[in-house]
Amino acid sequence: MDNHRGSKRTLAIGLVLAIALDTAGQLLWKFSAATLPSTASLWPIVDAVLRQPLILVLVGVFVCQLINWLKVLEHADLSYAQPITSLSYVAVCAFSAHLFGEHIGPGKAAGILCILSGVWLVSQSKPLADSGPEI
Amino acid sequence: MSATLAGIVLVLLSSAIEGFAQVCLKRSAIVSTGKFRWVILGVSLFIFEALFYTGALQRLDISTAYPLGALSFVSVTLFSRWILTETVDPRRWMGLALIVCGAAVLVAQS
Repeated sequence: MDNHRGSKRTLAIGLVLAIALDTAGQLLWKFSAATLPSTASLWPIVDAVLRQPLILVLVGVFVCQLINWLKVLEHADLSYAQPITSLSYVAVCAFSAHLFGEHIGPGKAAGILCILSGVWLVSQSKPLADSGPEI
Repeated sequence: MSATLAGIVLVLLSSAIEGFAQVCLKRSAIVSTGKFRWVILGVSLFIFEALFYTGALQRLDISTAYPLGALSFVSVTLFSRWILTETVDPRRWMGLALIVCGAAVLVAQS
């Protein structure tokens, strides 16, 4: 009983962390992308990416996100956990308005909500693990 | 090409690459020989995807680029249907249609 309650709490913390890390990762990515040169050619960008210390923080966030996500999946089905993390769409947009002054009008909000409900439906569909052919 | 349009093309490309990269990883899980080749291909594609997405973030609001990235659900499904001949649940098709509609609205707004 106690064990069950404990794992429920672990799951809740894991899901909140997943949304927070997802959001933090995206915002950091946007912030560091803005510091890179805008050029269409690949190598100057790769070079600048390697010199940008924020990218290391970003990679660190992604590693934490992966570890946390694997932990969440130990406690919950993917079809339960995935739609909850799509709340990070809302979180990213809310923060982008505050941090980067992005304008989110009713049209944009409607588009995001539509995508959110699509992701939710996708994650409700049945996983068919052995429908693919043997190779 | 305007910066916004270039950004949208970059997001679309990175979502398409994601679909193919995921199929490579899945392939590595089901083939009996040469798993490593598919892992390397998948991971290299993810690196390109990250670069394209970075380019997109330089040109678009993140409140546009990040939700548009959900189009990768569409490319993952299409590639896994075509290449891996997986079957797709009707509910998933409906979800994908909603994602495409939402993405179209976002593109129209940007």
